[in-house]
Amino acid sequence: MAAIKLGALPPRLRKLVEDLRRKEDRLSLLLSLVIGALVGLVVVAFILLTGRLSALMYPAGGAGWRRVLVPTLGALATGYLLFKYFPLARGSGIPQTRAALFMHDGRISLRSVLGKFACCSISLASGIPLGREGPAVYMGSGLASVIAQRLGLSRLQVRSLIPVGGAAALAAAFNTPIAAVLFALEEIMGDLHAPVLGSVVLASATSWMVLHLVLGDSPLFHVPGYHLVSPWELGAYAVLGIVGGLASVVFVKLLLWLRARFEKLPRASLWIQPVAGGLTVGLIGYFSPQVLGVGYDQVERVLNGDIILKVVVILAALKILATSVAYASGNAGGVFGPSLFIGAMVGASVGAVAHLLFPTLTAGPGAYALVGMGAAFAGIIRTPLTSVIMIFELTRDYTIIVPLMISNLIAFYISQKLQRVPIYEALAQQDGLHLPHRTSDAQPELLRVSTATRDAPLSLNPDMTVSEAAERVTDTVFESWPVADELGLVGMVRARHIEAAVNQGRVDMTVARLMQIARRSAGIRSVDLPHVHNDQPLSRALARMRDNGHKVLPVVSRANARIMLGVVTFADIMKAYGVESADELDYREHPDL
Amino acid sequence: MKTPVVQPAPIPAASVSEFIATFAVVLAVIVALFLFDTALARVDIRGRKSYAAREFRTGEQLLAQGKIELAIEHLRTASTLDDDNSAYATALAQAILADNRPDAAEQMLLPLLERDPTDGAANLAMARVLAQEGRTEEAKSYYHRAIYGLWPRGAHENRIEARFELIDLLAKINARQELLAELLPIQDDSANTPAQRMKIAHLFVVAGSPQRAVAIFRELLRRNKPDSAAYVGLAEAALSLGDFATARADLVAAQKLSSDSTALQSRIALADSVIALDPTQLGLSQPEQYRRARNLVQMTLKSTRTCLTAQAPQVAVALDSASAFLVSPAPADGRAQSIQQALSVAQSLWGLQRTRCAAAPPDGVLALIQNRIAQ
Repeated sequence: MAAIKLGALPPRLRKLVEDLRRKEDRLSLLLSLVIGALVGLVVVAFILLTGRLSALMYPAGGAGWRRVLVPTLGALATGYLLFKYFPLARGSGIPQTRAALFMHDGRISLRSVLGKFACCSISLASGIPLGREGPAVYMGSGLASVIAQRLGLSRLQVRSLIPVGGAAALAAAFNTPIAAVLFALEEIMGDLHAPVLGSVVLASATSWMVLHLVLGDSPLFHVPGYHLVSPWELGAYAVLGIVGGLASVVFVKLLLWLRARFEKLPRASLWIQPVAGGLTVGLIGYFSPQVLGVGYDQVERVLNGDIILKVVVILAALKILATSVAYASGNAGGVFGPSLFIGAMVGASVGAVAHLLFPTLTAGPGAYALVGMGAAFAGIIRTPLTSVIMIFELTRDYTIIVPLMISNLIAFYISQKLQRVPIYEALAQQDGLHLPHRTSDAQPELLRVSTATRDAPLSLNPDMTVSEAAERVTDTVFESWPVADELGLVGMVRARHIEAAVNQGRVDMTVARLMQIARRSAGIRSVDLPHVHNDQPLSRALARMRDNGHKVLPVVSRANARIMLGVVTFADIMKAYGVESADELDYREHPDL
Repeated sequence: MKTPVVQPAPIPAASVSEFIATFAVVLAVIVALFLFDTALARVDIRGRKSYAAREFRTGEQLLAQGKIELAIEHLRTASTLDDDNSAYATALAQAILADNRPDAAEQMLLPLLERDPTDGAANLAMARVLAQEGRTEEAKSYYHRAIYGLWPRGAHENRIEARFELIDLLAKINARQELLAELLPIQDDSANTPAQRMKIAHLFVVAGSPQRAVAIFRELLRRNKPDSAAYVGLAEAALSLGDFATARADLVAAQKLSSDSTALQSRIALADSVIALDPTQLGLSQPEQYRRARNLVQMTLKSTRTCLTAQAPQVAVALDSASAFLVSPAPADGRAQSIQQALSVAQSLWGLQRTRCAAAPPDGVLALIQNRIAQ
């Protein structure tokens, strides 16, 4: 990158830039906009180039042998590129993004991004039945990471931009800005309350705007307005949830099983392995061309009610097989798009049967295809909230939302029961990566302050003398002691401060005065009471202890912070986390603890 | 907006110049990508539209050849490639309808109409779907929307076509008042072809306005060379008006112009029968009038008994009254009164038959004479 001489910069510009770098709020705002626009444009270029390339590989009226040859050659080309130059560009991109976030401080190289772009373009254009969304997320996150690294941002800042880029990419790839935000938080971060929410929203909206600016306002699927024909129909949607959940499990298990088999093959064969996937896809595609590629045109047909039961059942089965083999053999591409395809076909099958059996009580199969997409997505990707919002955004149809939620939850539950490890996590584990997942993150948050709260000791009075207080706190394990007047809690006083005052002979000093001196010596001007609430996580209590130095905190009522409900100690918190030895610690002998 | 960064960051390692340079490069890439994407999108859209147009033409040709399944494939490709062009989706829906899948066609048309409720072609297609499904009330509504909707090309012709289809539907369900209401606005349209005017005139007869039909048929005969069909139309209108002698004359004139006279022969025979049985014909003697009136009661009673039983009191009274009239001796004097009585009995029986019988009375001699008497 061309360096600009610092001396050549006008002082005002230099000051402006330095201010921007110091004020992280502003920098974050600016970067969200820039990353949103850049990622949006890159993803649009990716979609358009892949489309053009596909049109070249499959000209109108092309012979049937092309459908065998093109995916095979495409897989051969990408297999070599992936093996030789871009090993990180293999597969979906979501596990790699999470690995970068949690294992490499958010660092992704520009080479990987370019490799992902090139390999996925070739792979998807040649008809490999994988999705473009996962790779787009990797590219988006990668670009955000590259920019952050080039700007010399801190480790935390680089990490925080990973979901920002991911959301921007998904918003453009799927035309679903809200679902993109949710996905970035739910799947990439694993935390819907992540503090990056604002930046993620801004980047997603910017990217979506760019998409519309270039490609116009058109949903990914045009769907007729479906509605619930009868309340009894919810039963049929529940059945769809079960079938969708089972299909998801079959798909995930087959994919993981095949991938495990491929991974056992000699490493030297890594470059040729994708060809196995490409050839399988080609042979399937020769007889059933609908299976080739992402298949969104076929999904749209089904959504519009163009369904022949036998065909959709076969397509669902073939897509599960083709996608599993293609992914497992190491081709570049994701499972987002295939999930929707499989879901649509499974939904259409269930819907066609339901409509055949109960024509007056059920909507057409198109409505079931729509709900099936969400069910399969929830079952395979395991992001139930994202899937509901995504289907709503894809189709812009609100009327089907209740059946969608029912089916999604059932599919999610079945998938969770029968395939405990979610697909992205299982893929990472197969690669030897153990990334944090939502369940493991959420577990400590279940430990609330209430689990470690104990009864409060008899409070000291602020008007009490130090000598009286010293008698009360003798032989206690409490490092700090609550002080309360007739209106309630006023603060905490340390036992060692009382002891020190007694040793210095200031026995007539009041506890209130002692607390005042302690605050001043610690440089604390505020009279804010250090406290926690019963419903807060234990990690919050630890953070409070770190901030004010007390190893004992009062647990107070949310209605009135002067009403003390109990106390929580450092030792109790350790015990709640399962660190039993902490119970034996004596703070008076180890004041530094 | 909340910052995604937790801890206060020190001034990062990169220099100010590197920071600015990175931003400058990124902005330059954004601009370049925007231009590239826009150009690529244009090429893509142009290519898709052109391919879609080719597919559409092929689909239309195949549809015209009756190769519906193949046509559907091509039209679907056109519709998917250029989803902004509602004509493609409408044509696809029409093809699906031709494939006898009105449900699927309806599903295709709904989003089009949601997007643009004034789309004339989509409204017409939806009207056809609903008409095929037997949902005539809804079909009528969509036909009206098609007639008053927007047509990018050939608006007048398409509106006329939509109106004629609506007219056909109304004629089929025998909605005579509505049919008349639809015929009146187009009867004097100078753009109508002779064939269309002929159809309008025929439909005026169906709608119960034979005088208008006569005027149009006469005008057609005046403006064009003598035509058998126009004479047949005139004859039908005359029959409807009860002018049986004129009808016979017109049918004979038509027969002279027609190469195939078998059908006309039967209509002439019908006209002869009516003339022979009509009790209201001018110039008949009173005994002859009475004989014909009595014969009419007998024919009507016979026809009524084929569909009505004497279970309902009103029907029983009417049947008894007719039977009593037939067994009563012929009056020696006051025949005019007896003729009136006979006609009254026949009319009331006919009225009952029309209102109570499930099947409409056949359009034959009896119906023509009864209509004449009613006039």
